[in-house]
Amino acid sequence: MVELETNDGLRHRIPRQRVPGMRADVVVYATEALLGQIRKDLSLQQAMNVAALPGIVGPSLAMPDIHQGYGFPIGGVAATDWEEGVVSPGGVGFDINCGVKFVSSNLHSDEVRPRLRELVNQVFRDVPCGAGGQGRLELSDRELREVLAKGARWVVEQGYGDERDYECAEEGGRLEDADPDQVSSRAKERGRPQLGTLGSGNHFLEIQVVEQIHHPEAARAMNIQTGQVVVLLHCGSRGLGHQVCTDFLAEMGAAMKRYDISIPDRQLACVPIQSPEGQAYLAAMRAAANFAWANRQAILHFLRDSFRRVFGAQTRLTTIYDVCHNIAKKERHEVEGRKRDVLVHRKGATRAFPPGHREVPAIYRHVGQPVLIPGSMGTASWILVGSDGAMQETFGSVCHGAGRLLSRTAARKGRNAKQVEAALEAQGIIVRSETRDGILEEIPEAYKDVDEVIEVVHRAGLARKVARLRPMGVIKG
Amino acid sequence: MVKVFEILEHTADIGFRAWGDAPAELFANAALALQSIAVEATVVNERFIYPIAAAGGDYETLLVNWLNELLYYLDGERVVMSRFQIDQISPERVSGKGWGEQRDPARHAPKLVVKGVTYHQLAIKEEEGRWSAQVFLDV
Repeated sequence: MVELETNDGLRHRIPRQRVPGMRADVVVYATEALLGQIRKDLSLQQAMNVAALPGIVGPSLAMPDIHQGYGFPIGGVAATDWEEGVVSPGGVGFDINCGVKFVSSNLHSDEVRPRLRELVNQVFRDVPCGAGGQGRLELSDRELREVLAKGARWVVEQGYGDERDYECAEEGGRLEDADPDQVSSRAKERGRPQLGTLGSGNHFLEIQVVEQIHHPEAARAMNIQTGQVVVLLHCGSRGLGHQVCTDFLAEMGAAMKRYDISIPDRQLACVPIQSPEGQAYLAAMRAAANFAWANRQAILHFLRDSFRRVFGAQTRLTTIYDVCHNIAKKERHEVEGRKRDVLVHRKGATRAFPPGHREVPAIYRHVGQPVLIPGSMGTASWILVGSDGAMQETFGSVCHGAGRLLSRTAARKGRNAKQVEAALEAQGIIVRSETRDGILEEIPEAYKDVDEVIEVVHRAGLARKVARLRPMGVIKG
Repeated sequence: MVKVFEILEHTADIGFRAWGDAPAELFANAALALQSIAVEATVVNERFIYPIAAAGGDYETLLVNWLNELLYYLDGERVVMSRFQIDQISPERVSGKGWGEQRDPARHAPKLVVKGVTYHQLAIKEEEGRWSAQVFLDV
């Protein structure tokens, strides 16, 4: 068993001296109870493998929702030196810019409750989802290139949304220096029919009610209050991003030998950031990230139609914020008293910049960047804001969700979809899914307790609780 | 019937173990396993022959690249196949084909979106003339 040094019950350290090859410490944020769950899979070993990446700066970080992934653990954060370090597609994952969009409505739960089923059915009809979900938007080659270069802005320019939709988003819903030419024709073909689709797996769209406010000033900035109906949308770059990751994993696997890099796990394939392969990957990854922002924006457009159909033309859905939780970005951070340019890999982790940071939209700058944490289907989700602690300790990062606990088969075992649906309905939650397995595999019991995960990042001073959201209607991908 | 593959467990994801009497059979069965996770393929008309080829430096890399070729057919070209045949195989290169048709949502219900084929705990073994492969997929 991996031994951890614990000082305050929240931060646990594996010193780099412990294992040959580790270039940095591992720091895990968790309670003892969460740590017990974390120890059951390979996530700590994976965090230690990440600590062996050339040019890693600061510790290999593990958030409280960490679980076993591929190469990087999910819930892992690692920064590498911009000049001397490496970039690893495994530190971003197959679903590039998988993320969350949070929108508020001008409806109270009392108005929505009596027509909830109608609303859920309408959304289910309007938002293509599931493994076979094909989009309603047909993109020409030229249009797809524009999507890859412009992200959410392109969708808004077509008349599907307003400026606030991208202004209130990480990076303004668009990463600069995206190069559509670095995205293979295969990736483009895989993604082309999928713009405006939710996908499957753990992707979902949830109609929720604001249940508790913990930080009134931040809630005021976001214009949310208890009883208000809001929507959380969780999805990514679909087949386009998956193919970009596949393409570059293959290329980097071969290129690593040239750069004399050896790593403990092939899924951690990496090359120097400043190499041609590293720059090509980052340019393609940014383009895929832009596709994901455009995807969430297109879904928001369909969602607005659904709400208007059910509740009338005066119904408004306002974007509060949009975050990515699978991404690598060049950022400037203070490390051991010195400002440095680093590439922050966030694999299942959310940026959480504190109050006063210039990257935070002006309307939130006095409270900090909104951080959107979806729980599992049928449990709470959380809105937080970033804190100074995150800048000091975690390269401005926190957790991204509850973190999976059971395998899909284990989740299905001994349960049937009808019973699960009935149990959720007894709690006032209506679920629609393309497949029955989709419901079973995402049952609340398959995930860690999101409240405990949030408590860790709140108490550790990485982010501050703003609001707890309770689900009403779930559309499962 | 002899089992040619089985599905494996992983907290967040899914994988399979496939077998064969030779690398050719192993690669064909691995293709069947991948497809069974992504799509319902019990009724497939063999309307077309799709060529599939991949390169690699060793059997592990070759298998990942081979499965990625199939994944592109499934997700990019929206094709479903009923059987696979390997015509030539060495650790450097595999070429073969699959028989199938365009996916019809009514007959080929989607199961899981397979995002990618991973190197996680990837292993190919030969024991007493029996080949096996373990592969995990990100879904």
